[in-house]
Amino acid sequence: MACKFISHEDTNQWLEALAKDHVVFIPVDDGGSVTFRPYGEGRKPVLDRMPVRSPKEAVFPQNETLLTYKYDKDPEDPERTSVRIKETLPKERAVVFGARPCGTRGMTVFDSVFVNDRIRDPYYATRRENTLYVTLACHEVESTCFCHEVGSGPADTAGSDVLLTPVQGGYTAEAVTERGEKMLEASFFADGGDKCAEAEAVKKATREMLGEAHDFSNAPEALLAVFDDDEFWDDQAAACLSCGACTYLCPTCYCFNITDESTGTTGKRLRSWDTCMSFQYTLEGSGHNPRTTKGKRLKNRVNHKFAYFPDTYDQHLACCGCGRCIKSCPASIDIRSIVKAAQARSAQKESK
Amino acid sequence: MQALAELKEQIRQALPDLDVVIGWQQGYDALHTSPLFIRSEEDIDKLVVNEFCVVNPATYLREMRGGKKVGLVLKGCDSRSVIQLLQEKLLKEEDLTIFGFGCNGVLNHTKLQARFGDIGFITSLENDGTNVTVEAGDKKETVPFTELCADKCLTCSYPNTLQCSHFAGEESAKQADSATDKALEDFEKLTMEERFTFWQDQMRRCIRCYACRNACPMCVCKDHCLANSREPKWLSEDVDVQNNFMFQLIHVMHLTGRCVECGECERACPMDIPIMLLRRKMAGIVRDVFAYNAGTNAEETPPLMCFKVEEPTIEERH
Amino acid sequence: MKANPVLPDMATIMEVVEETSNIKTFRVRFDDENVMKNFTFEPGQVGQLSVFGIGESTFVINSSPTRMDYLQFSVMRVGEVTSRIHQLKAGDSVGVRAPLGNAFPTEEMKGQDVTFIGGGIGMAPLRTLLVYLLDNRDDYGKITLLYGARTPQDLSYQEDIAEWLGRDDIDVVLTVDNPDEEWGKNPHEKTGLIPNVLKEINPDNSGYAVTCGPPIMIKFTLMALNELGFKDDKIITTLEKRMKCGVGLCGRCNIGDKYVCVDGPVFKYSELQELPNEL
Repeated sequence: MACKFISHEDTNQWLEALAKDHVVFIPVDDGGSVTFRPYGEGRKPVLDRMPVRSPKEAVFPQNETLLTYKYDKDPEDPERTSVRIKETLPKERAVVFGARPCGTRGMTVFDSVFVNDRIRDPYYATRRENTLYVTLACHEVESTCFCHEVGSGPADTAGSDVLLTPVQGGYTAEAVTERGEKMLEASFFADGGDKCAEAEAVKKATREMLGEAHDFSNAPEALLAVFDDDEFWDDQAAACLSCGACTYLCPTCYCFNITDESTGTTGKRLRSWDTCMSFQYTLEGSGHNPRTTKGKRLKNRVNHKFAYFPDTYDQHLACCGCGRCIKSCPASIDIRSIVKAAQARSAQKESK
Repeated sequence: MQALAELKEQIRQALPDLDVVIGWQQGYDALHTSPLFIRSEEDIDKLVVNEFCVVNPATYLREMRGGKKVGLVLKGCDSRSVIQLLQEKLLKEEDLTIFGFGCNGVLNHTKLQARFGDIGFITSLENDGTNVTVEAGDKKETVPFTELCADKCLTCSYPNTLQCSHFAGEESAKQADSATDKALEDFEKLTMEERFTFWQDQMRRCIRCYACRNACPMCVCKDHCLANSREPKWLSEDVDVQNNFMFQLIHVMHLTGRCVECGECERACPMDIPIMLLRRKMAGIVRDVFAYNAGTNAEETPPLMCFKVEEPTIEERH
Repeated sequence: MKANPVLPDMATIMEVVEETSNIKTFRVRFDDENVMKNFTFEPGQVGQLSVFGIGESTFVINSSPTRMDYLQFSVMRVGEVTSRIHQLKAGDSVGVRAPLGNAFPTEEMKGQDVTFIGGGIGMAPLRTLLVYLLDNRDDYGKITLLYGARTPQDLSYQEDIAEWLGRDDIDVVLTVDNPDEEWGKNPHEKTGLIPNVLKEINPDNSGYAVTCGPPIMIKFTLMALNELGFKDDKIITTLEKRMKCGVGLCGRCNIGDKYVCVDGPVFKYSELQELPNEL
């Protein structure tokens, strides 16, 4: 991988240039929390804090209009109406700048689910094809960081087009994809020179800060071994408030709802983030609900990431280790300790 | 800490007659606690009481119906929510055992974050009650407690648990830092247009995760909140200023005369939206109109739960 | 693969049959004759009906691929979408996304006896297979239908039933929980719970058993079939879950790592036993 260098000043110029024909999402201070918002209107990137919201929303926004519809009255017979629908595919080109490697890695989970040999979701696929991820490697770690335990790391390139690493005076830039390589042809980039070694040292030092990694590799079997252990799950979920903070902010949570939202005779079919932590999520028309308790719902969230997804998609965990669910949980529920507890519990069961 | 040892002993004594005692335990790092559900002797030792015991244990009462005998370790502010629920006849006093103590205030993660960057970067924190010394990366700073504590602690008049069955340690002599709500006063100096712009910008940031609602001890509708109802449909799934604002206003209206200002809604908000401003405004109006402080006297009937032909606190304008 | 798996095709309701007090059957045709002509599906597959402005809901296509004049869906009124669908009349427009999900193993069942056990609205997915088997009658062994409902008035598909009763290549038994005065005059009219009547009929256990109905009925029917000695991999049922996208993306219909909307709705009992216990 060729390593280039861009100075802090040139980075701003580069963003300016990119913003000419892209919506460039940058992390900004948004009322005290860091969120991704379009570059411009004097917004400055905030790169020393992990964004609260995840970079998934550039490609998988909280609301996506799937189609619009319009009812027309039959002029002959006003009792009769006809309806016309229109597909609404997204068109804009975007760049996500300054997401962390964990957050961007989340996109690989979406890629597996939304574009594969069985299905191609055109809304997701179109946005993904039109969006470039310029990711920033970490040089500090937080108490909630565990990327190194889920097969990732502070300089992971998965899902990215370009990886930036902070060095003296600016960033080194490495292209991860062909699209990324094209981006680095811009005049703002110089040859990396000895900055490249500095970047490698930053990556190494950050990885060391994370310490040893807990081994989650037997998580799928362990979680399924305690599947029917209601006591275990009720205990793990006791503090859960059943809100959607964990799932909405998660870079890999992709489950959604579809609703029709109308205004008079027109309206739209909307795809919106949904959360498996809510009672309504699996509530059936008949009143039956397969997941009546929050223990069962928490089990689904954890199992989806650490058992079902890896079972379906080549053992990859659907957790990127960013820690957002831990940090944003009003009750400080820690997904790491839940999986670890399941591993311990199943080991205990086995030895009996 | 004297109070903690006493609390543990009181819980140990009471536990055989209780299904569960809800308190706090050390969380995933030094700056977080998480709710603790004590069901056995071994659990008691996990109990902690410190400036990070923020969750209001009374929030879990809505899941504990059906004659469960529940013990709660409560701060003064938390205990008000229990009293209000008793006033609304949503709880039975005989089912509850309240363990009280004197609270010296809790720290606010949002304020820490604004000052020191992400909470997860803070490596150590020491609080002597007046000053807080924080280390984050190579930064070390000492800040007055009042600059980092929760807003509610600045105007708190109830630092000691109300109506408790047991009280541990010494009473807190903590005085309200200020009798007036400065943040609210400052906000009200803005023009109507400025206020509206402020709220539009805040509501834009709401992700409708409903953490505010679910963290609220007074939100007893649980899984049947009208925000999730499709028939009738009050809210669209569109997460936009209009719908978010609608939800937040419904929430405020449903809490008027009930909100005990525990601040859990705002603390739970992952986007740090200052929704307590709305709550405090409404609580202020209720104080002005009905001379009522929610959840401070279990004998009192909440003013919006009864009808009097002439409200003694309202001056009729003929 | 469809270019846009969540975009419905427009269709028109040709006819509405009032089956019971809360079940209506809708016969629809795609507006685009090319779509209609090229449409194929297999018995057991489902479709999503859309009423724009209200939403979508999943129903089995209960007509048979051997009769492609129209697609037929039976809708029980339970919620927001189904209530709105019930208001639709012949000539009204609906959106249709179909076919979705898997199908009954009609190839594998060839040459074998098939026993159908349906309860209430659970008769809908059985109807499609039953009609298909009757239209390919020579390929299959003995066919038995046991269909039950709460009362005689809650039995759907009266026209079909009359036709099936008139044939000598299918055995039909009906049962209700609460009979009226007329009920029981004919030998095929029984009173009692489906699993009990099933044991009474005692069908040959070497063939296939296909069952669908309310969860509690399925549970006891599976137990009865077990008792009668049917093999786990020859007992077939169809599951229902809350569904939204119908194409395995939205997440809510999972049982473990399987999605009812793509890996189902048809499951063998042997497959169900492999799944985590989360029905």
